[in-house]
Amino acid sequence: MSDGYGSKLVEGQTSALERVTTGVVGLSIVSCLLGMTSILRWTTESTEFLGVSLFDFFAIGLLAMGLTLVVIGVASRTGMVETQPDRNVGAFTAVAIGAISAVVVGLVVSQTLGLGTLVSVLAALVAGAATTLAMLLVREDIGSTVPIGVLTAVVGVLVVTGVLGPEWSWDPEAFTATFNGTIVIPALTVFCGLLSAWAAAKANEGFGTRGRQNGAYLLIGLNAFGMLAILAGLIVFIASKGIGPVLEGVQLGAGFDWPFVTNGYTLSPNEPNGVFPAIVGTFWVVLGAVLLAVPLGIGAAVFLTEYAEQGRFTAVVEVATNGLWSTPSVVFGLFGYAFLVPRLGNNTSLLAGMLVLGFMLLPLVVITSREALISVPDEYRDASAALGVSQWETIRSVVVPAALPGVATGVILGVGRIAGETAPILLVMTGGLRDNAPNILGSFEFTSSPPFVANDALLQSAPALPYQLYATITAGVSGDESFGWATALVLLLVVLSFYAVGIASRFYFRRKLHQ
Amino acid sequence: MSEPVTSADTENSTQTTQSTQSTERSTVSGETDERIQQSWLDYDFEGEPKLASKELDVHYGSDHALKGISMEIPKESVTALIGPSGCGKSTFLRCLNRMNDRIKAANVDGSVTLDGEEIYQDGVNLVELRKRVGMVFQAPNPFPKSIRDNIAYGPRKHGDIDTGLLARLSGRKDQKKEDEIVERSLKQAALWDEVKNRLDDNALGLSGGQQQRLCIARCLATDPEVILMDEPASALDPIATSKIEDLIADLAENYTVVVVTHNMQQAARISDQTAVFLTGGELVEYGDTDKIFESPESQRVEDYITGKFG
Repeated sequence: MSDGYGSKLVEGQTSALERVTTGVVGLSIVSCLLGMTSILRWTTESTEFLGVSLFDFFAIGLLAMGLTLVVIGVASRTGMVETQPDRNVGAFTAVAIGAISAVVVGLVVSQTLGLGTLVSVLAALVAGAATTLAMLLVREDIGSTVPIGVLTAVVGVLVVTGVLGPEWSWDPEAFTATFNGTIVIPALTVFCGLLSAWAAAKANEGFGTRGRQNGAYLLIGLNAFGMLAILAGLIVFIASKGIGPVLEGVQLGAGFDWPFVTNGYTLSPNEPNGVFPAIVGTFWVVLGAVLLAVPLGIGAAVFLTEYAEQGRFTAVVEVATNGLWSTPSVVFGLFGYAFLVPRLGNNTSLLAGMLVLGFMLLPLVVITSREALISVPDEYRDASAALGVSQWETIRSVVVPAALPGVATGVILGVGRIAGETAPILLVMTGGLRDNAPNILGSFEFTSSPPFVANDALLQSAPALPYQLYATITAGVSGDESFGWATALVLLLVVLSFYAVGIASRFYFRRKLHQ
Repeated sequence: MSEPVTSADTENSTQTTQSTQSTERSTVSGETDERIQQSWLDYDFEGEPKLASKELDVHYGSDHALKGISMEIPKESVTALIGPSGCGKSTFLRCLNRMNDRIKAANVDGSVTLDGEEIYQDGVNLVELRKRVGMVFQAPNPFPKSIRDNIAYGPRKHGDIDTGLLARLSGRKDQKKEDEIVERSLKQAALWDEVKNRLDDNALGLSGGQQQRLCIARCLATDPEVILMDEPASALDPIATSKIEDLIADLAENYTVVVVTHNMQQAARISDQTAVFLTGGELVEYGDTDKIFESPESQRVEDYITGKFG
């Protein structure tokens, strides 16, 4: 610490340290992103990037980042640049770096030197403990840059010298798998890149409290972006595989035709097959489940929150609800198969699917509605009671409207889950590939005897997108794999449009409360 | 005005002369004396009594929050309840419209009468009671609805304005009556001019002082006889506070107003009579506001008012 808390209040120009570390952070993030593309096989070792092959870029980048980090650490320790490091890196970082060193030493001893298990485990433990201890003894600027810098630079050197190349492969004795250089190099690049970015971010603010804050900010931000990247990657991957068959034969304009969405599974060679029956089936089964679960769930939640004495009974119900929510879907399916199906005409049916998915949705609606009702301020209840309004009127006019945005969130989450459920549908609804959609609205019939209304379509099996997907891709009911990918894309779109409806309704209810 | 059975001054001086070792015994014996002394039923105010409490005790679990309160509250005037925090003044206020029923741990013994009718007896219709005895809370608590819906909420729920599905289908929605109630209540609460052009905006968009006046208007819309106010200005700035105080003075012409406050200047400004609660849930003195603030009988009250205690 050069001059105590003498960090400047206002920092005008960027210092050399800030510029260098920003460069390291930028280079590591670029390396990480490229590494990810390589792991996903979108790029290969021979892909050109900035005039060099990708793996050479990785190697040079790692070397540069590693050496720069070491230089920064040494420069800070010797006082060449002004920083405010703490006495050491802190227990968490020390243990993390110790663990990395244990893994590296263990792998080198067992795989490269070929010594036995016992020796390598011992070596790993000793190395890990020694590194951790060393980390706690050196100042933060050295501790958070030099080990990471050395590791990164060593990986860079190995790749540059060709010791670790695309042709390199490793068959660990205990595994049946083989790790190839084409995967290991990008993976190491991503790993070392993240560590370097973290270290450089800490150095950027001159270590100490502000440095750690900066490092944590970088890691947390990368987490959020990583999550977005996973979602985007998944959608792009499914869409790229499925978009072709989905759009096959689309005609815009007057003679609008979208065969994949409007056709059934025709079995005729002249017409494209489609998933219309499955879309309709999914729509009906989700609608039925929502109609069953939402009123029941909100009712139960209102009772538990507003009327029931908070105590043992509500606690038991809460545990039961959580238990119901964690029950595996295939168990729900089996229950439906053994209990509902024999009582509903002894064949798999749309109605059975609605009931089973409704049972699955119910606990989530109860849980989220309860949370939403509990978070309605008691002031509203008091104000209403003080106006001489009965409890039920208060619940109906004040409490439930105030809780509706939260309830809507719960229903959205639940619908997203049940719309993609395969196991229960497989057991209780099973409609195969079909040409005709279930005609629910057209099947209502009035009868002269109770229950006076009958609907045959409800009691017949119906197709649904997730089951159809399972059947085409895994079980090989239809030979064509692209049909499956296209089904997956449509399923994704259907679930996303359920989300869109849910988000819109939440937005609507919230606006009503606050506009 | 007649003297209470035991003068507060003598009571107080006996207690102070007693040695600390015998404090416990003296408070035990003192409590019975204070019970008698706490009856302020013979305080002789002008006009009719509206509310009266007799021997009112409240326990929260094992905590004795209110000890044998006996007092009468005159009609169409402002009665202030003052005292330090935790002295039971809010608890007493909440007994007057049975809002304490909503707290499970609260246990109320004794009697409260509204126009001579006991409100703590079987068969009391709480909805009807709270219609007649309205309440305004410490923090403004408008519903997350439009200004109009906030005001019309009570009358709609009581059936004064017909808004049911049948009424709407048959075109019997009492729009005119609703407009009248909204306008009258907002004018009474001195808020009409500020909000008359945006009655359909959400009430949460109003400032704190406006929200509190909206809550008063909402309470007035159900046409109560008594208005209970629990520190209605404590969350507001001085300008909003003075508006609320002016409003309270106006309301006293037609309504019986009971105000809890811990601001003694406020009590002196707005009230006709003042009841002083001191720590332990006792009503130590009750009388004309001028007398309480100028020449209180009890030494403890004088100490509290002059800032030596509390």
